Amino acid sequence: MLKIKHFIQQSWLLIVASFFFGLLIAVTNAALSPRIVQNKINKRNRLVGLLLPGSKNFVLEKEIEIESIQGKKEKVEVYKAMSEADECVGWSFNAAGSGFADKIELVVAVDKDFEKLAGFDVLASNETPGFGDQIKYDYYRDQFKGAPAEELKLISSGDPKKIDAEIVTISGATVSSEAVVEIINNFLTQIKEQMQKKD
Amino acid sequence: MTDKSEVRTALYGQTLIAGLWRENPVFRLLLGMCPTLAVTAAVKPALTMGCCVIFVLVCSNIIVSLMRNLLKPHLRILMFTLTIATFVTIADLFLKAFQPEMSEVLGPYVPLIIVNCIIICRAEACASKNGLIVSVIDALGMGIGFTLTLCVLAGVREFLSTGKIFEVQFMPDAFVPWAAMGMPVGAFITLGLMLGLVNVITKREA
Repeated sequence: MLKIKHFIQQSWLLIVASFFFGLLIAVTNAALSPRIVQNKINKRNRLVGLLLPGSKNFVLEKEIEIESIQGKKEKVEVYKAMSEADECVGWSFNAAGSGFADKIELVVAVDKDFEKLAGFDVLASNETPGFGDQIKYDYYRDQFKGAPAEELKLISSGDPKKIDAEIVTISGATVSSEAVVEIINNFLTQIKEQMQKKD
Repeated sequence: MTDKSEVRTALYGQTLIAGLWRENPVFRLLLGMCPTLAVTAAVKPALTMGCCVIFVLVCSNIIVSLMRNLLKPHLRILMFTLTIATFVTIADLFLKAFQPEMSEVLGPYVPLIIVNCIIICRAEACASKNGLIVSVIDALGMGIGFTLTLCVLAGVREFLSTGKIFEVQFMPDAFVPWAAMGMPVGAFITLGLMLGLVNVITKREA
């Protein structure tokens, strides 16, 4: 009993403050999270708009359940990109997986027949500056633009300008380059299969 | 009575000015070196970081000053960290909501304000010993001093590495940018030279 009294005496301020501060953060988060989510959507739409020229609206087409690289079930939202004339110009979906330092979140765009990749962009990553973060650079990303939408292969040397299923790795950042290819492969093959099956 | 209030005003003025020059957190106390080196590649992120630090510093100083008589000595650092972490999280959420681009540029350095020594130093050295008004003025002085220093550093680096200040072009197209100034090495060199300069000036003054 004495112990409990001592404990409360010493730490009541800490306990009260924790509750109060927790409440403060919860209120702020509740007030701001719609805006933060909207910011993310806007950014995503802007990036996809760049990858799929002519796209204007993005409509949620369906949710597809896929298996992640670690073998977990995940739900992926596949968006249909519509042009001004309301024609489908392509598809896009978010893809994520572990990179070198942290999770890499990508947005991947595919043409309307799921035959060719329109490219990808990085939504969030924490790769080493100067090395791994080169996955954001054009010379690496351009290799995916127009590449066939099938299993991509990472090669250590070759011509990055040649557009095919072979992706040339970034020297000094093999793990990050590998992670991107793996994430895209995993998501793309499963989504493609399910999209074509039901169409 | 007037004497007292005059003394008090003088004290407030001194507290404010101390943070700007005599006890400038970066140049004189050498605190908060991590953001100083990391986010000063351009003025805009430096200014954003400075504003976040001012916000966190003022809020945490207010809270610490208000509860200074309730603090148990061996639990005080825990309380400081808890207070600081709360306000940093709030600042981070605000940045994400209203300045998403800056939030991305600053990345992990916003949450890292939690371990910024300036804030815990001011909580320990000032707010836990002084009243509310002095604590707030101290926080403002230190925060503005920190922000100005960051902006000067960032201004020099951005100017030399891109020819721009605050994304406005200042140099003719013929200017060859010093790319190294935008990289970590530029931060160390600029900070070192500035510290040297400040030392020379203060030695002359004394």
